[in-house]
Amino acid sequence: MISLRRRPRDLPLSRDASARFLPWLIAFMVYLAAIALASALAAQKIADRWDQDLSGRITIQVPHAALSDAGNPAESADIDALVDYLLEVPAVSGVDVLDRQRSAELVEPWLGDLAGQAELPIPQLITLELREDLSLPEGFEARIEALAPGAQVDDHQRWIGGLLDFAQSIQTVALLVVLLVGAAAVITVIFVTRTGLAIHRQMIELLHLIGARDRYVAAQFQGHAFRLGLGGGLIGLLAAVATLLGLERLVDRQPTALLPDLSLGYMDWALLLFLPLFTALVALLTARFTVLRTLARLT
Amino acid sequence: MVRFEDVYLRYGRGPDILQRLDFRLEPGSFHFLVGPSGAGKSSLLKLLYLGQRPSQGRISLFGRDVSKLDRDERALLRRRIGVIFQDFRLIAHLSVFENVALPLRISGEPEGRLRAKVEELLAWVGLADCINALPATLSGGQQQRIAIARAVISRPSLIVADEPTGNVDDRIAMRLMHLFVELHRSGTTVVIATHNESLVERIGKPALHLSGGSLYQPGGTPLPEEALDEEGPHSREVNP
Repeated sequence: MISLRRRPRDLPLSRDASARFLPWLIAFMVYLAAIALASALAAQKIADRWDQDLSGRITIQVPHAALSDAGNPAESADIDALVDYLLEVPAVSGVDVLDRQRSAELVEPWLGDLAGQAELPIPQLITLELREDLSLPEGFEARIEALAPGAQVDDHQRWIGGLLDFAQSIQTVALLVVLLVGAAAVITVIFVTRTGLAIHRQMIELLHLIGARDRYVAAQFQGHAFRLGLGGGLIGLLAAVATLLGLERLVDRQPTALLPDLSLGYMDWALLLFLPLFTALVALLTARFTVLRTLARLT
Repeated sequence: MVRFEDVYLRYGRGPDILQRLDFRLEPGSFHFLVGPSGAGKSSLLKLLYLGQRPSQGRISLFGRDVSKLDRDERALLRRRIGVIFQDFRLIAHLSVFENVALPLRISGEPEGRLRAKVEELLAWVGLADCINALPATLSGGQQQRIAIARAVISRPSLIVADEPTGNVDDRIAMRLMHLFVELHRSGTTVVIATHNESLVERIGKPALHLSGGSLYQPGGTPLPEEALDEEGPHSREVNP
């Protein structure tokens, strides 16, 4: 009959003090790593969305003073003529003239109810969709200026570039944190494994005298490290998931659109869920390498 | 089987614990290793079971020069040697079954075959009903028999025992000795270190006399090298 009871390990590693504190240390490290990784993923997501939303588009902003209803007909912009011109430009695949209400909605997060007031001097915004295979003709901006004096053409590149650099910086810092946390975990496992080797030195010597190879001894330590790493990793992940979901709900509750969407996608969650297993594997390999290296130094 | 050639042993920078050891043990032989406390019996046994490297000289086991073995090869050679330690060295948190099964597990024996073998061995040493007990719950004599069962379960070619009767009374000591004699009859080479010379006389097997780190002939004379040389390269079975 097959016994379902797990047989005890030759070395009583689970009774060591390290078996009590290591899971909590790893839990803390996995928590930090998960938060850092989630930050990197969220930053990537925001950067991608900005890039996707704004690349291939330009915005023409006609100042309120140049609009015909601003009371200055001598220098008023001919919006219809401007749109007609834009539709004739081969590189332009679409023209979207934002009416006052949509423009007011754009500034509403900053100005609140004030944005809806008629006397607010809101500029006229025209968004152009550009074809990737064609470029804008020479003198494009001068023609715009002629049709709408004071109009500004914004290709968003400076703004996007700055934001992408910022997002990239967040990602770099977050990944650096993940690496540092990983290095700290490896060092901790090395220390704990060496301590275990010292504590159980006599028993390990006995195993050797009975005929155990170094990898038999290493298997004891690596199995122990894997279990502790997995346990600690799961605790850390649970705490991180709770934190991230809490943050997500907090952002969702904000009435303003100023805060970016920080929610993670399915793949991002899958990556985070993989963290405990990854941590356990790192712990396993670190313990194995440490034991084999230490024992190989013995005569 | 076992061959020592001009073997010396010292720990660190200390004095020689063993010196000029030259002898050979033939396969299937039975030897006692006798001598006073501090004579170096345990150190000689350590060399025999590859628990220690000699500081000088050459040791061959099963036809192989042990100094030329890597760690894995030494491990494989140790599986052919059953060791019974003076202090038993049973693993306290493991049951009797787990302790006795340990050499088989280390050798990669399938789990399904372990129980039958362990039960057979425990019946042989008279402790079949203690299979699930922890070592600490057993008497010294019982622990010694568990240690013997562990040493012989993988059917080693060489049994090395360090004072196996040191912690038991005469009746148990004789019983243990009969176990060793049975093993010897099955073809196993046995080396037993003991300071109990009356036991040696009762069993009637040859003895190696060790004193001051050197092997002696009975009567107290160190073994003459020239005498050893006559019968092969520093080899000789020493008779009591």
